[in-house]
Amino acid sequence: MEHSIAVDIAFLLLAVLAVVAGWRVFRTDSMVRASFFLLVSFIAVGAIMILLAAEYLGVAMFFMMAVEMMVMALFMVMFMMNPAGLNPMMMVHQHRLSIVAGGVAFVILAAMALFSSFPADPLPAGLDPVHSLGEEMLGDSMLIFESAGIVLLATMIGVVVLSSHRGRYGAAEEGSMPPGLEPGGDPAGQPEDDESGGGHAHHHHH
Amino acid sequence: MTLVTLLLLAAALIGIGLYGALSQQSFVMLMMGLELILNGVMLAAVAFWAYSGAGAPEGQLLTIIVMAVMAIEMAMGFALVVAVFRGKQADTTEALSELKQ
Amino acid sequence: MIESLASLLMVTVVLVLGPYVVAVLDRLVATPTGAMAGDVWLGPLSRAAWLLTQQANATEAPDWQAWRLSPALYLALAAVGLAVVPWSPTLIATDLVTSVVLWGSVEALATVVIFLQGWSANAVLPLIGAYRYVALGLSYILISMFVLIGVALPAESLQWTQVVTAQESLWNVIRQPLGLPLFLVVGLGLTFWGPLNLADSTDLAGGTSAEVSGPSRLAWELARAVMLVAFSAIAATAFLGGWLGPWLPGPVWVLLKTLAVLALLLWLGHRLPRVAPERCVTLMWVVLLPLSFVDLIWAGVLALWA
Repeated sequence: MEHSIAVDIAFLLLAVLAVVAGWRVFRTDSMVRASFFLLVSFIAVGAIMILLAAEYLGVAMFFMMAVEMMVMALFMVMFMMNPAGLNPMMMVHQHRLSIVAGGVAFVILAAMALFSSFPADPLPAGLDPVHSLGEEMLGDSMLIFESAGIVLLATMIGVVVLSSHRGRYGAAEEGSMPPGLEPGGDPAGQPEDDESGGGHAHHHHH
Repeated sequence: MTLVTLLLLAAALIGIGLYGALSQQSFVMLMMGLELILNGVMLAAVAFWAYSGAGAPEGQLLTIIVMAVMAIEMAMGFALVVAVFRGKQADTTEALSELKQ
Repeated sequence: MIESLASLLMVTVVLVLGPYVVAVLDRLVATPTGAMAGDVWLGPLSRAAWLLTQQANATEAPDWQAWRLSPALYLALAAVGLAVVPWSPTLIATDLVTSVVLWGSVEALATVVIFLQGWSANAVLPLIGAYRYVALGLSYILISMFVLIGVALPAESLQWTQVVTAQESLWNVIRQPLGLPLFLVVGLGLTFWGPLNLADSTDLAGGTSAEVSGPSRLAWELARAVMLVAFSAIAATAFLGGWLGPWLPGPVWVLLKTLAVLALLLWLGHRLPRVAPERCVTLMWVVLLPLSFVDLIWAGVLALWA
């Protein structure tokens, strides 16, 4: 595939952006920032896909990942103890092993990329990638495409079942306790059992 | 921009993603690692499609399927996190230790 | 070459003049209701100059990079939106084959940027505004997707130029009667304007921009106004036949139609009642989303029939 020097420069910048943003995901204190760094990495890859003439996939990447990362950021804020990243923090385990595993995976994959010979069979001239993708999805591969749709539907049902407040054995939060304010302390936010403690409010109730 | 440079980029993304998926304690951060791996996979698929697949439409279809897999992974992952959080008030992988000996 | 330069110039001119036009039109539309005081023509300029000379506010430990960047990013998204608008069959800044989908991703990314603006201030009211916006955004994006697919169906293409060409016999506003009203709701949501201003509303003391003052406040308001213009241009392209029209040259028609949609949106912004956030989400999912399904089915049946 012939392309101009501008495409090469754009690819280089986008590749650096994708890797740096992907690396920053695990090196930032703020979880919201982490999910948006991941979004930046996805957008850079999407732009590279557009450079590769996969125009639908690249743009689909933008909107799919924008919504996904938005939801991710919301869940981050819900669950993380330090969502805003006001305090430095590092929540990792088996750190050295992970670095080695990541490095080894990169080296093996890079060696495969460098030392194996792939057939050079570029895009034929006059190919309309968007059109051919549509023909494939609603033609020969319709079964695969529709199966993906069914699986997504099943996922939606499963997710609702999993995260529903009520189940076969009663309400979901029954028996669960919020964590204590200090390690090992009493659960936070529970009403006082002590009759004398919250006296005033109690008298109003009775 | 050649097939080799594209695959190197994909390899870098997969490597970083694997590091994140293995090292992070928080479920949500762990899923970010998985997503980054899939990001590299999609890039590699499109690169092969463009440079050595002669534009076979199945290459693009594979990427669409990976996107659907990502959506499924995220939805199921979050539902499981919500379920675990309801039961244990925890969002880290260490909290799930019942299956340990 | 000349055409691409001319289209870039067009985008730049709209970027610069758009906010002023929005401000003046908004004042003209609001005058009968007496909602806005001050000079119609000079008021916006003096407000801009006032904001520019104000001191920039700072909260405790904000995420500075994100806070300063989000107005610029919102403006950039609006510029991308303007760049896919075809001013004539050839006068277009980015004639991507999937430009309809690109506009859809602009809408999705706007949610991220507005959330970032509210979140990064590290203050309560902006954060509530940001959360409200995400709830609203996730609802209107789906409506927008179905309406956009409906528009793409008769064109059998995801390209805005093809969408316009397909309207030569009949404009989409007549062919798909549900489309434009639904899309206008999306526009009010995308720019959190008028009744859908849940993110920056007065009950949150300004919401996502409650803590923003000075130049970055000006940048935020400019970006919002440009986004409204970009949305109007897209709506004119999608439903009012873009450059199509007798006597006048194409770009003039696009401008006139854009102004018409803009004025309609601003008028609706003053006339429609405000809905409480939780009711608004219910309205979106229970009433408007099924209506957008109907719109899509309508478009599909017509496309099969034709």
